[in-house]
Amino acid sequence: MPIRGKLFRKTLTGVAVLGVAALALTACTTTGSTPKETSASGGTVTVAVVNDFTSFNNQTPQSNLDTNGQVGYLMGNYGSAFSYIDKNFKIVHDEKFGTFEKTSDDPQTVKYTLNKENKWSDGEPVTADDMILAWAVGSGYYDSATTDEEGAVTAGNRYFEIAGSTAGLDATAFPEIGDDNRSITLVYDTPYVDWELVNPIAQPAHIVAKKAGLGSAAELTALLKGLAKGDPAAPVAADPPLKAAADFVNTGYAVTAFPTDPDLLVSSGAFVPTGWTPGQSFTMERNKFYVGTMVPNVDKIIMRVIPDANAQVTALQNGEVDIINPQASADTLTALENTGADVLTGDQVSYDHLDLNFGSQTSTVFADSNVRQAFLKTVPRQQILDSIVTPVNPDAKVLDSQIWVPANEPYADSVKNNGSSDYAEVDIEGAKALLAGATPTVRILYNTNNPNRVDEFQAIQESATKAGFNVVDAGSPDWSSLLAGGDYDASIFGWISPGVGSAGIPQIFSTGGGGNYNRYTGTNDDAIATQTTLDPKELIVLQKKIDKQMFADAYGLPLFQLPGVFGVSKRVSGVEYMGNQTGPFWNFWEWSVSK
Amino acid sequence: MSNQIQPTGLDETVIPTHVPESQGRLIWRRFVGNKVAVASVILIVVIIVFAIAAIGNGLIPGWWKFSYKELNPQVNRGDPTLSLVPVWLGGNGVSLGEHPFGQDRIGKDYFAMTMRGIQNSVLFMVVFGFIATFIGVVVGAVAGYYRGWVDAVLMRVTDVFIVIPALVIGAVVGHWLGSLGAPVLAIMLAFFSWMGIARLVRGEFLSLREREFVEAARVAGASDARIIFKHILPNAIGVVIVSATLIMASAILLETALSYLGYGIRSPDVSLGLLISANQSAFQTRPWLFWWPGVFIVSLALLVNFVGDGLRDAFDPRHRRFKLSKMRETRSEPELNA
Amino acid sequence: MVSFILRRLLVSVLILVAASFLMYVLVAYSADPLQDLTSSNSPNKEQLINARVQLLDLDVPPPLRWVLWLGGVAKCAIPFANACDLGSTVSNAQVVDILPGALAATVQLVTLALVLAILLGVMIGIVTALRQYSGLDNTVTFISFFLYSLPAFLVAVLLKEFVAIGFNNFLRDPVIGAIVALVIGLVMGAIWQSLLGGDAKRRLVVFLVSGAATASVLLLMSATNWFMNPGLGPIVIILVSAAIAFAVTLVLAGLRNRRAFITGGINAGIAIAGYFLLQPLFDVSSAGTLAILALVTLAVGAISGYLMGGYDRGQNIRVGMVTAGLCGAIVLLDRFMQSWGDLLEATNGRPIATVGSKTPGASGDVWLSGLDAFAHLTLPTIALLLISFAGYTRYSRAGMLEVLSLDYIRTARAKGLPERTVIMRHAFRNMLIPLTTLVAFDVGALLGGAIITEKVFAIPGMGNLFNQGLGRGDLNPVMGYFLIVAAMAITFNFLADMAYAGLDPRVRIR
Repeated sequence: MPIRGKLFRKTLTGVAVLGVAALALTACTTTGSTPKETSASGGTVTVAVVNDFTSFNNQTPQSNLDTNGQVGYLMGNYGSAFSYIDKNFKIVHDEKFGTFEKTSDDPQTVKYTLNKENKWSDGEPVTADDMILAWAVGSGYYDSATTDEEGAVTAGNRYFEIAGSTAGLDATAFPEIGDDNRSITLVYDTPYVDWELVNPIAQPAHIVAKKAGLGSAAELTALLKGLAKGDPAAPVAADPPLKAAADFVNTGYAVTAFPTDPDLLVSSGAFVPTGWTPGQSFTMERNKFYVGTMVPNVDKIIMRVIPDANAQVTALQNGEVDIINPQASADTLTALENTGADVLTGDQVSYDHLDLNFGSQTSTVFADSNVRQAFLKTVPRQQILDSIVTPVNPDAKVLDSQIWVPANEPYADSVKNNGSSDYAEVDIEGAKALLAGATPTVRILYNTNNPNRVDEFQAIQESATKAGFNVVDAGSPDWSSLLAGGDYDASIFGWISPGVGSAGIPQIFSTGGGGNYNRYTGTNDDAIATQTTLDPKELIVLQKKIDKQMFADAYGLPLFQLPGVFGVSKRVSGVEYMGNQTGPFWNFWEWSVSK
Repeated sequence: MSNQIQPTGLDETVIPTHVPESQGRLIWRRFVGNKVAVASVILIVVIIVFAIAAIGNGLIPGWWKFSYKELNPQVNRGDPTLSLVPVWLGGNGVSLGEHPFGQDRIGKDYFAMTMRGIQNSVLFMVVFGFIATFIGVVVGAVAGYYRGWVDAVLMRVTDVFIVIPALVIGAVVGHWLGSLGAPVLAIMLAFFSWMGIARLVRGEFLSLREREFVEAARVAGASDARIIFKHILPNAIGVVIVSATLIMASAILLETALSYLGYGIRSPDVSLGLLISANQSAFQTRPWLFWWPGVFIVSLALLVNFVGDGLRDAFDPRHRRFKLSKMRETRSEPELNA
Repeated sequence: MVSFILRRLLVSVLILVAASFLMYVLVAYSADPLQDLTSSNSPNKEQLINARVQLLDLDVPPPLRWVLWLGGVAKCAIPFANACDLGSTVSNAQVVDILPGALAATVQLVTLALVLAILLGVMIGIVTALRQYSGLDNTVTFISFFLYSLPAFLVAVLLKEFVAIGFNNFLRDPVIGAIVALVIGLVMGAIWQSLLGGDAKRRLVVFLVSGAATASVLLLMSATNWFMNPGLGPIVIILVSAAIAFAVTLVLAGLRNRRAFITGGINAGIAIAGYFLLQPLFDVSSAGTLAILALVTLAVGAISGYLMGGYDRGQNIRVGMVTAGLCGAIVLLDRFMQSWGDLLEATNGRPIATVGSKTPGASGDVWLSGLDAFAHLTLPTIALLLISFAGYTRYSRAGMLEVLSLDYIRTARAKGLPERTVIMRHAFRNMLIPLTTLVAFDVGALLGGAIITEKVFAIPGMGNLFNQGLGRGDLNPVMGYFLIVAAMAITFNFLADMAYAGLDPRVRIR
């Protein structure tokens, strides 16, 4: 009996184990492989990007990164909507999305009118409420903050944190709403030269209102209308709903995984985000509510994160991505050509330049204009171009203007008269004559981690030594923190020219400008004047004057525009080169996939 | 061969001056018997001498016409002019030409750069190896000899350094000091790479310090330093030399990895790792830019590893040649002459 | 024992704190987080710089900032509070949020590489030790030194170029020519004959048979378009299962052990039956199902071995489990192969990937995603594996040789034990002792190597976090990386010590 009992217990245990296992098995099965979605007609384009996505609002100081900007471009909240910038750096209006025009010069008045059909990707209409919100974010109208040197707020409030400058919009009053809540009219107190770049579509007002605890977009507009302009001299307590709205706009869109909250995904542009594997890929699909001009041919755009340029080339070769925008080198170019991909080359908006330090605290070598000119005469710009740029872009020419790049219209005209021809050729003899036997020591600061800059330095060093200069290598991986210190005689680094607009000019060329590292004072007045000159023709005259003055003062020399390369697989057509941050995405609606 | 092994122990300490000699000679003979290791040593020396003779170093003049720094006009689009196929085989004859390994994009002679790269990589390897070994030996010896709290403290310090992967610390240090040249980078990195050797040496010391000859030396009134460096260390020298060789081989690869990440030696100075990583996009298009430094990196690392292996065999008499078939036979023949 | 662990834990925490200070200060002084802003000409540059200074407390000197950072880390020690604060990146993402994903990617890569390196390295090390100074030994020695001397990124680049792109190109027209098949056959024949050894006649036979078999199988695969529609099919599965049962018994117990042999046979039989019966279940399987099936398989192996009884039940159980596991793996492999067509479709006919760890948009059942992960991870794993593989072959070869020359092995042989028993049961275990220390060191090397592998293969893991963080002076993700890596190094060191004590009875933990 005990034996039987034992056996019985064992059997029972076995049955129980089997039962549990069977249960667990059934619990762990799926309903079988999901039926394949019928692939839509337009196809998918995969684009390699260098950085991962971090935020659906690319306009905060922390999220102002290239990939976020590109996603924003596709979602219609950054650089698209009312207008976009084409490959020739012209502003193109999207009349189907809405119209905007300058209706008066004095005071400067701009009216924005939306298309009636315009809807967000959740089906809600795009209205003036959305434009009012964008204006409130971009103008800093309600801010009353006073900050200390480190940037900490000491008094008052700061609502919306933005990466861009409030310059321009800060001189507008609360906009006038009209046309059945479809238009706004902005009136500028002082003329604003870059008015065409103002694009008052950002976050959806109905979502922001909801997150701020308000009932509707109209309520948010009413709230904004009721609030007074912030005054740092007389700060008032923060308005709680606006603070809540601002907090959501500032931080609510920053994500580390694909959001479960569909409100964050609402888009006014041609594409809506549908998936994100952090660190790997970001997927966007067509927005069926979109009514603007940029209606895409393709159904899906996938951004794949591939930081390494060589890995991008192999990925294109292996068919894993369709469009790449790698760091350009002659070898990358040849490798791309060998893979049978289409290769598009052009200039990037950033350019390298050599600046002489007018305010070095430790040396007065460049206080003498003759020494400056002599040094610039030795700079082998053509040789540098030939070794760094020409192999990638055979049509490249030495950059001859401190203000414009060749893609800008006034460039050719300015170059003729700005005196850059004095430095067209290396003139060792001329330099020797100017030096009259002196052998000045020149310390050049550059980024030792950037191979281009290293090669530029070596070429300049070799050439300048021939004229009698003693060129000292002051390069450092920490060059950027040394730049403002002024303990060097010349520096080689790059600026990013925005291509359009003139907001950067006083930054570099006015005496107290934040980018005026070499303490140059020769063009201060003109540089400041550019910001209030509304007439485009007058502005160009002013800029030409600056350009010329800088060559006359031997400020330094622009060297070249960095070359850029797109590799495009044969199955995608319609991609065109674009040198700015939007990169290949700028004309996404013209892409098509061949089967 | 095996019957020549001297029994170690008390006799060694009686006449300490003679023992290292005879043991040294024994090891030397074993090492020389290892053809691969000897050939490796010869090849390494040939490569180093060739690299120094070619472009010189410091006061030594080189026979090659270009320096690794000077910019020359582009010849033949920078393609290599080296030709190895003789005329009678339908080639262009054996000649070096103007730039045998080609030129980089600003016209520097790639042959001179490669030679400079070899010099720097070898310098890096040697400096790194010596300093790391030195620190490791001192720390390990002191910890193993004194034991107790000294040992505890030193080993915890070792643990602190050990938790950081070498490449990580290398990246940080290289990011900081890469532009100061090979020796500085090597010294700094060595400060973070001595832990393996320290542990090994400590282990050796822990067991050696219990041996009779140490006791004898102590009774004879020898100082601690004398016991550590004159009596115990020579008996642990095998471990030290072998690990020093292996750490040198890994140093070349560490430098290459750092250069690939952009934290190694920086232009205008040159290392093999820098050359190969700067030209990795040329892999398909101008392979010579990639392969020449690559060949030298792999050869140097491989040769040094072979030397290390040879040294290990020479120092460790237990790793003598034996044949399994012979061992099998011994089963029926227990009277083995060992 | 408990006091030992507690002491180790305390010391480990102190070590971690000290090392983190070293690391923090080094990184903080070596990288400039404002670099991209100082060289910008944006009109509100000052404001942007201030915003970042505020975000990252850059106005606090690094040693003090370390204290702040440590304060945040200390919150992690509060259980269930979820108050961990590892700081934020330059782009204002919390390091705590981005760390888990990165960690998963790296752990996947490193674990796979480590396990494979140990398995392959030890296996090859033993084989070469048993064939010391043979052609095979010399070749393997040379190859392992050669692989060890290759820079990691060079291997990775070559793998991408030749294996990924080459194989994908091959798949466009998967035909193996007669000459290629012949060459591969010759090579395989040469490898097999030197592996199996013996006198000249036996070697020749092995060479011819294995070479001819390889070449003809390749030609057959090519002719049947196997590379587009791979699968093993019932016949191959039956044959392979039988071979596995045979081989496992041979190695672990010896063919004379009838009970072990029967155990192996039973398990192979169950696997074959499972192959036919389980296909419908496989079609609706998820990862959970497969895990349960794996457990069941091992349990069946163990139980069958136990029920077989005999004087050495442990041996039978081992034979049963290994046979069941291997045969189950073959059945699974076959099912994975059946999904190959789906993968080809999802990747435009180019399955072996060079970047990332999965194909975006290729969603499907466990088989497709498993195969997709395999197609992405194979190359990075190989690249990483080669770093440490050489070390294991060298150490296990040397260890085996040393153990084999010891007296107790001679005693065992003198007792008349079969060679298999001497090696597998007497020498093997003692050979593993020195390897445990190597594993601990190797984990550090692999994690370091992952920095490079992840860069080449664009895998968003820890190494990527570190590398990008250091590149843009972003201190907090670098420190997040460091914390994890250091903790892993310490853990593995600890585990190695425990394993050492477990394997070597002379070592006692105090």
